[in-house]
Amino acid sequence: MDTLAARKLSVSAALAGRPVNVIDNLDFTLAPGRILGIVGESGAGKSMIGRTIAQLLPPLFSVSQGELMFDGQDLVTMAAEDRRELLGRDIAFVPQEPMSGLNPVLTIGRQIDEHLARLKVGGRRARFDRAIEMLEAVHLPRARELLSKYPHQLSGGMCQRVLIAMAFASRPKLLVADEPTTALDVTIQARIVQLIAEMQRQDGTSVVFITHDLRLAAQICDEILVLYAGRVAEYGPAREIFARPRHPYTRCLQLANPVMSGARRGLFTLPERMPGLAALSGLTGCAFASRCPVVKDDCRSVAPPPVEVGPAHRAACLHSELTATIAAPDLPAEAEPSAAAPLLTVNNLGKTFRVGRGFFRHESVEAVKNVNFDLADNEFVGIVGESGSGKSTVARMLCGLETTTSGTVALAGRDVSAGDAAARRHLRAYAQMVFQDPQSALNPRRRVGSIVTQSMEATGTGDRAARLARAQALLSEIGLPPEAALRFPPQLSGGQRQRVNIARALCAEPRILIADEIVSGLDVSVQAQLLNLLLRLRRQRGFAMLFISHDLSVVRYLCDKVLVMYRGEVVESGPTAEVFDNPQHAYTKALLAAVPPDDPSSAWSPSTEASDRDAATGNPL
Amino acid sequence: MAARAFTSLPPWLRSGRVLIGLTIVAALAICALLAPQIAPHDPNEQNLLTTFLPPAWMQGGDPAYLLGTDSLGRDVLSRLIYGARVAMMVAVFASFGAMIVGATLAYIAGYFGGRVDALIGRAVDVWMSFPPVILSLILMVGLGIGLRNVILAIILVDWTRFCRVMRSEVLVIARKDYVAAARLLGFSHARTITSEIVPATVPLLITLLSLEMGVAVIVEALLSFVGMSVGPQTPAWGQMIADARQYIYDSPWGLILPILAIFLAVFGFNILGDGLRRTLDVRVTAQRT
Repeated sequence: MDTLAARKLSVSAALAGRPVNVIDNLDFTLAPGRILGIVGESGAGKSMIGRTIAQLLPPLFSVSQGELMFDGQDLVTMAAEDRRELLGRDIAFVPQEPMSGLNPVLTIGRQIDEHLARLKVGGRRARFDRAIEMLEAVHLPRARELLSKYPHQLSGGMCQRVLIAMAFASRPKLLVADEPTTALDVTIQARIVQLIAEMQRQDGTSVVFITHDLRLAAQICDEILVLYAGRVAEYGPAREIFARPRHPYTRCLQLANPVMSGARRGLFTLPERMPGLAALSGLTGCAFASRCPVVKDDCRSVAPPPVEVGPAHRAACLHSELTATIAAPDLPAEAEPSAAAPLLTVNNLGKTFRVGRGFFRHESVEAVKNVNFDLADNEFVGIVGESGSGKSTVARMLCGLETTTSGTVALAGRDVSAGDAAARRHLRAYAQMVFQDPQSALNPRRRVGSIVTQSMEATGTGDRAARLARAQALLSEIGLPPEAALRFPPQLSGGQRQRVNIARALCAEPRILIADEIVSGLDVSVQAQLLNLLLRLRRQRGFAMLFISHDLSVVRYLCDKVLVMYRGEVVESGPTAEVFDNPQHAYTKALLAAVPPDDPSSAWSPSTEASDRDAATGNPL
Repeated sequence: MAARAFTSLPPWLRSGRVLIGLTIVAALAICALLAPQIAPHDPNEQNLLTTFLPPAWMQGGDPAYLLGTDSLGRDVLSRLIYGARVAMMVAVFASFGAMIVGATLAYIAGYFGGRVDALIGRAVDVWMSFPPVILSLILMVGLGIGLRNVILAIILVDWTRFCRVMRSEVLVIARKDYVAAARLLGFSHARTITSEIVPATVPLLITLLSLEMGVAVIVEALLSFVGMSVGPQTPAWGQMIADARQYIYDSPWGLILPILAIFLAVFGFNILGDGLRRTLDVRVTAQRT
């Protein structure tokens, strides 16, 4: 019997009057001991599936038809008490945010004990021994010590391991993992994914693995289900789907992802965004038609039924044979970095933080030490490293948000590391920062037009009309309609907000952009749009950029040079192709190995060394 | 029809709490502003022949004295209406004063952080360690009685309330990237605070302000109860309670009515503040939509 099977399952939302299907006619089966990957971008309805299993749908959402069978019982019609018995016992969950999955005011030991008590593991002593066993099974060292710690004393990766240990404590038949690695570093991500696979093999558990990363899903899953706007675009064996996608959307997702091996290729960019609930309500035909590169006339009128395109491989496309014709665009010729004297020269840059409060007792932490690099005009330099490696501190020091402890920063021939008013003015004229989180970086109470022209406001240039004209010119340059100038940031999508964020930095015509993780947290297709936007802007305007990212494939696509940072130091640097093809430092090698390979059939062997470091020191970095 | 009129109001008014609060506060404000026109008698006019009259609808009441008279035969209704003048003056000026002092320090502490924050924080700590009633009494003894001094005393006692609450809010907003961005684009510190931080704190300011008005009414009543507020010539609610206290068994109305007036005023300010908090706070509104 299948562990989990959905038949014609639809979940509808009763928003604005008429119901809209956020999950439409979902069909899949998950056999015991298999892993099903559910892949899609934000808003595709992936998390809705996990919520339907737990019957924790948001208000106004309900299952409108179909059934969701777990082990022969329908989870939808089941009595609430019966379902409660199943959840946490036969069906376990691993959440997206490990930190919020644990109660911050209870020790790890207490939380595991409560869970075991619920599973009727008898006796305090027995539960204690079992807890230690569990933590050792997920490779957490010094388990006994860990039991008396609180979640904030652990790193995100360690918290996620604790949650995985708890999830597997009851030997569940089904595990639902909703983006379990999104909030974690790439090296830790590899370990967590392997851990889930290892535990799953031991217990013969079936897993629903929800992710936005097609490459990761192809690597670890047996089957993949690609969701688009709540509809199944494609469903079939993982390797098959990755090697021969038969739905244009799957193909486009694949091509929007930068590659890690072989020649650099252009990124395919899908126009616009996935239709929202309002657009879906009146939709006839294929939900993907508005963005599909191979759309035909009939796509807009006929809703495509799932068609068998191979053994156990279904695609909901009327013209699935055209999928293979979609190709990545050619890379446009890029502006060469100028060979003249570098614009920015960083020499022996260092930053020491004093930690600990009180007048007499404090320690120093060297967050950044001895960083040296040059940035030429028109050059994109990437800084990679995991969280805590000091890459953001470098960015903040360069734009003057953080004072420097040692070293010099020469910008166009002038040292700006002193941070006095004159240095700030000089800095402002040359460099601008693009912040990571557009939600926090854009004042929700200002209109977009006023945000992008904030630098004119600061210097007092131009009147209202001049500023509005400038705002509209900037917006069209970054690909937003001029009307957007009158809107407020919360009315924009994540990708649009990040464009506004870039436009604001460009308004002052800087020669250098300092960009801190500006595409992390965005969907693959939006990320591709932004990366191509940055390259186009460089061709049109010419500027240099320091691009900080934890995503190696993005850096490989975008940057001419790369610096690898580890514990505050640059351990390796050089032209991107050279560093990526022939890494010298052990850490660079570990970092590269942690990325799932482009070809899912080739072996993925992330080294365990680098990622277990955080577990060994017990330091939340 | 009524429903449509309700939804056509601006969103912050679309709340039962706000409407009830505003009605009460507006009624009190009208009493205070138009006291000479509304009040049937001179509040200080004594008539020793008609002392301790009960309200007009009770047995032995006199229709000329709607709410009865006190121990000196003064009209209770007129005294209540004139008493609203002191209460409203104190409520408005003392709470605005406390807000200006407290919020300004909070912006400075939260934005600059570090030593400035520690200094202001400790000052608030020390200030708050004095019992507020004792502190205001000491201040009144030092400053002398009079409306202006009552207001000053309340400002000096209550600015800490604003400073404490506002500081933590400012702290959160000052860490937002858009504040850093404003600095990088060339805004001065003062400009960053006024254009990026202050607008985000307005909902909290309004809420605190309306709550503080209720507190100010109570503190003034307390001070006038012990005779440390405005002089005996000016009618005030606390004073009326103090006068009527001795005759509580003979004439309970003289005590009950000013207490009700204080209750109504504080209730009005509090429910208005609570309603405004619910409608203006984005975090609460976001959950509802």
